[in-house]
Amino acid sequence: MTAGSWLCLLSPLAATIVILLGGTRLTRRAAAWISTASVFVAFGGAVWAFFGVHAQHVIQNYSCIDFGLRCQAPGELTTAWTWLASGNFHVGLQLLVDPLSTVMMLIVSGVGGLIVLYSIGYMDGDPEERRYFAYIAFFVFSMLMLVEGGNLLMLLVGWGLVGLSSYLLIGFWHERTSAVRAAKKAFVMNAFGDATMALALFILIAHYHSLSFGVLGGSGLSTSTANWVALGLLGGAVAKSAQIPLQTWLPDAMEGPTPVSALIHAATMVTAGVYLIARTHAIFEQARTIELIAAGIGALTLLVAGLIALVQTDIKRVIAYSTMSQIGYMFLGAGVGAYSSGMFHLMTHAFFKALLFMTAGLAIHALSGEQDIRKMRGLGKVMPFTKWCFLAGALALVGIPPFSGFFSKDSIVAATAALGTWYGWVFWLCGIAGALLTGLYTFRLWFLVFPGEPSAFVAEHHHKHGRWGEGPWTMLVPVGVLAVLATVGGWLQWSPLWHPFTKWLQYAAPTLAAAEPSNTLEYVTSAATVLAGVAGIALAWAIYAEKRVAIPQLPAVQRLLENKFYFDAAYDRLFYAPASALSVALRREIEEPVILQGGPDLGQTTLDAGGVVRRIQTGLLRTYVFFLAAGAAALVLAFLIAK
Amino acid sequence: MSGPGTTWYLVLAAFLFGIGALGVLIRRNPLIVLLSLELMLNGGNLALIAFSRHFADGAGQIFGLAVMAVAASEVCVGLGLVVAINRKKLPLDVDRLSELRG
Repeated sequence: MTAGSWLCLLSPLAATIVILLGGTRLTRRAAAWISTASVFVAFGGAVWAFFGVHAQHVIQNYSCIDFGLRCQAPGELTTAWTWLASGNFHVGLQLLVDPLSTVMMLIVSGVGGLIVLYSIGYMDGDPEERRYFAYIAFFVFSMLMLVEGGNLLMLLVGWGLVGLSSYLLIGFWHERTSAVRAAKKAFVMNAFGDATMALALFILIAHYHSLSFGVLGGSGLSTSTANWVALGLLGGAVAKSAQIPLQTWLPDAMEGPTPVSALIHAATMVTAGVYLIARTHAIFEQARTIELIAAGIGALTLLVAGLIALVQTDIKRVIAYSTMSQIGYMFLGAGVGAYSSGMFHLMTHAFFKALLFMTAGLAIHALSGEQDIRKMRGLGKVMPFTKWCFLAGALALVGIPPFSGFFSKDSIVAATAALGTWYGWVFWLCGIAGALLTGLYTFRLWFLVFPGEPSAFVAEHHHKHGRWGEGPWTMLVPVGVLAVLATVGGWLQWSPLWHPFTKWLQYAAPTLAAAEPSNTLEYVTSAATVLAGVAGIALAWAIYAEKRVAIPQLPAVQRLLENKFYFDAAYDRLFYAPASALSVALRREIEEPVILQGGPDLGQTTLDAGGVVRRIQTGLLRTYVFFLAAGAAALVLAFLIAK
Repeated sequence: MSGPGTTWYLVLAAFLFGIGALGVLIRRNPLIVLLSLELMLNGGNLALIAFSRHFADGAGQIFGLAVMAVAASEVCVGLGLVVAINRKKLPLDVDRLSELRG
C-alpha cells in the first residue's frame, strides 16, 4: 500500500529526469511515450494504494464497528526519513495514504494519464515537444506530492511545485509575449497564496512545534489564532483555485497548450483548494466563520464567473470561467461542511471539464488554432465524434440526469440549504441561479459552435487529421474514455439513495451534521437545479440557435461583463500603478542620486584619503623605529601620569 | 638573597635597552641594527630574570627562554635578509633601502 504510493509519486519524477537528461538522444516520440507511461504507472500505484486502504476500510466497517472494537482509521503514514529537524521541531519526508489522498491520487494520475496521452497527438510537431513532456510529468509529480504529502510542510512543497510547473506550462510557448505575461501573472497571484499559507504554518509551528495533520484537530489554539490559521490556509486555497478576489489569473492561463488547460487549469491543480479545505477541515471547523466565508466566496465566484462566461468569445475562456464557477460550487460544498460532496464534485468535474477542454482542443486543432466561437458555427457536421463527446460533457456540466454533474452538484446545493440559516438559503439560491447560468453559457457555446451548416470559416479552414478525420487515436481514445466517465462517473453516488463516496471519506473528512440534508430537501433541490439548468438550456436555444430571439441590449451590463467586473482594471489601479509609480520615484530619488552617484563618490573619497595617509609611509626603517619608540614612551608616560 | 639588589639589575637592563634602541635608531648598517636589536632583547630579558628572582617566581625565566627563542629566529631571518641584499649587490644601508615609500 505505501509502496504503491511511493511508486505513484516517483514514477513521473523519474520520467522528468530521464527526459531532461536524455535531451536529443531521445526521439520526440520516445519522450512523449516515457511521459505517458510514467503517469499510467503512477495510476497503477494509485490503484495499488487504493486497494490497500480499501481492505482496511472494510475491516474498519465490518469488524471494528460491528463488534464495538476500536481500530485505527484506515490509512497509513510512511516516513522516508527526517527531512529537517530544529530543536524539538521535526518534519519527516512523509506520505499519507488515506481515503482522501487515494481519491485524489486516482483522479490526478488517471485523468492525468489520459490527458498526457492526448498531448501526444496535440503536441505532435511542436519543436519543443520534449520539454513539454518533461514539464507535464513534473507537474503530475508535484500534484501527487501535494495530495500525498503526509504533513503540512510536504503539502506546501507540493503546493509550490504545482505553482512552478503551472508557470512553466502556461509560458510554454515562450515566444508569445501574452503567454509569458499570463505565466507571470499566475505565478505572482499563486505566490501570494503560498505566502499566506506559509504564515498559517508559522503560527502552527509556534503553537504546536509540529506540522503533522494531527495537530489541526488539537485544542491548543485560541479562537482568534484558529481564525488566523484558517484564514491563511484559505488564502492559499483561494489563490490556487482562482476564487474571488484572486481569480484573474485563470482565464489568462488559457495561453498554455490546451491539454495543460485540461489537466492543470480544470481537472487537478485548480481544485487543490478544495482538497486543502477537506484535508485541514479540523482547523476550519474550529474557525467556522472563516469556513463560511469560504462558502460565501464560492457562492460569489460561481455567480460572477458564470456571468462573465456569458460574453466570452474565446472557446477556452468560456470553459475557463465555467471552471471557476464549478470550483465555486466545490468551495460552497466544502465551506458549509459537506466535504465529501465537494470532493465528489471535484471528481466528476475533473472528468467532464477535462472532456470539454479536450473536445475544444480537437476543434481548435482541426481549425488550425482558431479559438473564436463566432467563427465556428456548424462544426458538428464535419466533426460528429467531437460534437457528441462535447454534448456529454456539456450535459454533465449543466447537471442533467443521468450525467455525472447532476449527482455531485445537487448534493452540494442541498447541503447549503440543510444549514437552515438565512445564509444557507442565500447559498442555496446562488446554487440554483448558478445552475441556470451554467445551462445558459454552456449551451450558448454549444449552439454557436456545433449545430447547423458549417460557416464559411469552418468550410475554408477545416482540415482532416488522422485516420478518422478528427484526430489521431491518441487524442480520440482519451476523449472517448472521458466522455464515458463524464456520463457514468456520477452513478457512484446519489446521496438520497446510496452514498459509498461519502462513506469512503467518513474517516478522513466526515460531513458535518449541520450539512446533512434530508431526503426531501435533496429531491426538491435536485428538481430545482435540473429545472434551472433546463431553463438555461432553453434560453440558450432561444437566443443562440436558429431562432435568434432578440434580447434587450444592455450596453452597460455588457461592458461590465466584457471587462470581467473590472477586476483586472482595479488591480492595475490598486497594485500595479502605485507599485510602478513607487519604483519610478525610487529610481529618480534614490537610485540615481544615491546609488549611482554614491559609488564613484565613495571611491574618490577613499582615493583622496589614501593620498593623505600614504605620506606616513616613508620607507625609512629608522623613522618607523622612531615612531615605535616614541609611541611606547608616550604610553609609558601616559600610564605614569594616570597613576 | 645575596648579591646586588634588584634595582641595579633593572638599571643595567634599562641601559642595555637604551643603548640598543639608540643603535637601532642611529646606525644605518643592517648588521649593526640587528646587533642593537639583540641588545634591546637582552636588556628586556635581564629585567625579566631580575623580577623572577625578586618575586621568587619561575614564570619570568620561562619568558626569558621564550624571548631567546624568538630572538634566535629573528636573527635567522634578519641575517638571511642581509645575505640576500648582499647577493643582489644592493647597498647595505637601511636609509637607501626605501623602496616601500608611499
